[in-house]
Amino acid sequence: MENTKTNLWTDWRLHFVVFAIVIITELIGTHEISIGPGTILLLPMLYAVIIGLLTFFTPLINKVQSSKAESLVFMSVTLLIAKFGVQAGPALPELIQAGPALIFQEFGNLATILVALPVAVFLGLKRETIGMTHSIGREANLALISEKYGISSPEGRGVVSMYIFGTIFGAIFLGLTSGLLASILPISPLSFAMATGIGSGSMTAASLGPLVAMYPEQADLITAYSGASNLLTSVTGLYMSIFIGLPLTEKYYQLVSKFKNRKIKGDSES
Amino acid sequence: MISKLIDWTLTLSIVAIMTLVGNFIGYEVMPVTALPGIITLMVIVLIGMVIHEILPFKLPSIAYIGLLAFFVTIPGVPGAEKISEWTSEVNLLSLTTPILAYAGISIGNSWVDFAKMGWKTIIVGMLVLLGTYLGSAIIAEIILRIQGIV
Repeated sequence: MENTKTNLWTDWRLHFVVFAIVIITELIGTHEISIGPGTILLLPMLYAVIIGLLTFFTPLINKVQSSKAESLVFMSVTLLIAKFGVQAGPALPELIQAGPALIFQEFGNLATILVALPVAVFLGLKRETIGMTHSIGREANLALISEKYGISSPEGRGVVSMYIFGTIFGAIFLGLTSGLLASILPISPLSFAMATGIGSGSMTAASLGPLVAMYPEQADLITAYSGASNLLTSVTGLYMSIFIGLPLTEKYYQLVSKFKNRKIKGDSES
Repeated sequence: MISKLIDWTLTLSIVAIMTLVGNFIGYEVMPVTALPGIITLMVIVLIGMVIHEILPFKLPSIAYIGLLAFFVTIPGVPGAEKISEWTSEVNLLSLTTPILAYAGISIGNSWVDFAKMGWKTIIVGMLVLLGTYLGSAIIAEIILRIQGIV
């Protein structure tokens, strides 16, 4: 996340393209799609990712600009983080009251291991599984896995593919599902707000957007909770992976693989 | 240090202008009304980044920015009310649109690798994201219900 490159502001063509995308997408505005009991919210930011990606395949944007855009994501996320903070300050009493929930939901980030790891193993993935499922695989986790196993190891390949998947698909996927889940499941938008602190700025923005748009009367508190959870994840996230996530993934992987091997053996004998 | 600061300010200004325009088109807030708010956010970001440069600990700069913005708006801190009032004119969603537009352009570079990815990776990837998000939401919900907050 430490992409503080200099001279980013000089690339006028890149900024002009983004500016045009902002104007077009805001003019299109927000639209709703009902799917049974649920709603998918199409927000300007969602069209912005897709149009942004499409421009990469036009002569407007080249590879250099695309990699500059990566640092610009970081720079623009800082403004969002500041916005989170100023929403959280006035809500201090509510945050203190919700403190236990905010702290314990951080452990929810480990739930992914319990769900995704067995599926990966049963799909036939080997030790790649460890890299893929120990966390959502952002920059810090990329560094952690490559330090521990090496980036060309199976675990390294796993974390790299999760990183690429998240980069391309994370914001779009969460932007579509967060509103849908909040409209179907009997879970309060405040709880979802706490879950948006995932460890990636663009994914947080994408999952928070539909919540704020769907529950405008609770928007301030939703943003405050999201900001607090985001802050907690940015401070504790990596340590969570080092001390709990990765060791847990290792143990659980061995357990699940053993179970799978025994099952295959049992099936072939019978 | 000074040259870095100028550089950051210029980059942030570009994003700020886009935000103001998006805030106007999408949420009908006049750019002049939202100007003090976006400038306040920029100043907080710049101070946060300077703190990050100066302090020796390995915390991400967004941690400092978030904490600083949080502290200056706690009720009772001098100026807190003004900062809240100004920044409330900057709609959250108008900040997210330029972020995701840049994100869209930046993912172009990884597209070739993404296209090569197998369907297994995509299934596991979606489960990882969903698991993290729902796992946290469920734990938060249980505790908030026990406390009677929701």
